[in-house]
Amino acid sequence: MNVPVETVPMTASRKRTAPTSRFASWREHHGWSAGSSLKRLAQRPFGTLLTVAVMGLALALPLAFYLLLGNVQQLGRALGQDQTINVFLQNDQVAQQAQLLATQLRGRSDVATVTVKSPQQGLDELAKLQGFSGALDALDANPLPYVLVIAPRADLDAPGVARMSADLRDLRSVALVQDSGQWRARMDAMLGVGNRIVLVLAALLALAALLVVGNTVRMDIASRSEEISVLVLVGASGAFVRRPYLYAGIWYGLFSGVLAVLLALAIEFSLAAPITRLNAAYAGKLQLGGLPPWLLVAVPLAAAVLGWLGARLVSAWQLRRAA
Amino acid sequence: MIQFDAVSKRYEGGHDALLQLSFDVPDGEMAFVTGHSGAGKSTLLKLLAVIERPSHGTITVDGQNLAKVRGRGIAKLRRRIGMVFQDHRLLMDRSVFANVELPLTIVGIGRADRARLVRAALDRVGLLHYERQLPATLSTGEQQRVGIARAIVGHPPLLIADEPTGNLDPQLALEIMGLFAEFQTTGTTVLVASHDLRLIKQMKKRVVVLHQGRLVADLAAEEVL
Repeated sequence: MNVPVETVPMTASRKRTAPTSRFASWREHHGWSAGSSLKRLAQRPFGTLLTVAVMGLALALPLAFYLLLGNVQQLGRALGQDQTINVFLQNDQVAQQAQLLATQLRGRSDVATVTVKSPQQGLDELAKLQGFSGALDALDANPLPYVLVIAPRADLDAPGVARMSADLRDLRSVALVQDSGQWRARMDAMLGVGNRIVLVLAALLALAALLVVGNTVRMDIASRSEEISVLVLVGASGAFVRRPYLYAGIWYGLFSGVLAVLLALAIEFSLAAPITRLNAAYAGKLQLGGLPPWLLVAVPLAAAVLGWLGARLVSAWQLRRAA
Repeated sequence: MIQFDAVSKRYEGGHDALLQLSFDVPDGEMAFVTGHSGAGKSTLLKLLAVIERPSHGTITVDGQNLAKVRGRGIAKLRRRIGMVFQDHRLLMDRSVFANVELPLTIVGIGRADRARLVRAALDRVGLLHYERQLPATLSTGEQQRVGIARAIVGHPPLLIADEPTGNLDPQLALEIMGLFAEFQTTGTTVLVASHDLRLIKQMKKRVVVLHQGRLVADLAAEEVL
């Protein structure tokens, strides 16, 4: 063995081995931990891909539901623009009274437009409907009343429309109020249930993702107990030993978050053609949307936090056992 | 300065590994701890590295009572001790360079300084040309030298070695011991546990002899025949 004593000036280099500033040391540790954990994931690509795929699918599901619900909501809003309230006046009401009431109603802040339909206009509309013309010929007189067709303001919500309908029913000159927007209230309620289901599903699947990361990190630590004991023996602190596993959790989360976003975008892309056709059917009135840009960034970040949390929960306990 | 003061270690089950052990090792001295298998040599080193705790007595290293060292303090203490094991304890999936680099990474030394110090340590044990290889591709003696390079790379003031030549042929064993003696000349305190009396005699250093956990002889270098 050729050992030149002069090669390492020990006293001189001892001075130079002093750790640099606290921040530089902290940065060095984190850089090393982030790099080494990434390298480890790359060393077993199949296992890493499998974990990321499971987590990514789990996170993509609530995203897909969110996309679906968002579009149903948009669809409801678009269709709601056609929502009208038909107010049938008493048969004794004449044109002048109908016009007067229409003017009064136009003064309401929650009303967009009021159209007066005369009994003759109503009869003409009925006559256009197939199968009615013969029946109408048999009538001695026009039995239809004046009808006010009221369009509520577009931004009026379902309870607002319901309040307006109730006000109209209370009018003495009104015989019947037909609120074609009641379906909207029901749909809003159903969307509320859907939103809650998405939230619960997201929470459950996030928990599943957390457990997947936790279990992966647990197995990783168990398979590296020899390495951990060496690190501890050469002076590694608990934080130093744990850090690569926390970074592994972050990487798993980040990659699965990106995968979830990509899957959601793929779903959005696959829906694009049918949505375009639907939009065309509604003369371009529909404004169906995709995932908002902030969500595309927020999901990977939130998944990274989730991964870190899963790794943290498991690593403290598992490392104590391994060391 | 290392001080053992009436130190005893009893393991669970009642086995006494050390009994009322008292001795000092001044700074910069090299000493051998010897004795038959089960004499307590490894336990003594484990107590120094706080891998085990004594049942009774006090161990002091540079004035620091090891009984009071807890948590992060243990990690800090171990950074000041270079440890060499009979089974090397190398990370087989990392290169020779990465293995030797570990203690420097742990204390947060920058990449450029790490590279310089690792190469200097590898050069010192004669393995500079093996830095990219995995330990599994090296012979037992070379692996042991990687372990020594890892122990000395941070220039710790104390170097402890547990049967470092157990698996080596006599010539290589003597070379390894020569390395330890060389570190001592640069001010490092060296404590080596070994049962190889022939080798110990050749080294002509202080010898602490244990028998069934008791100190039975403490021979100065000049007393070693």
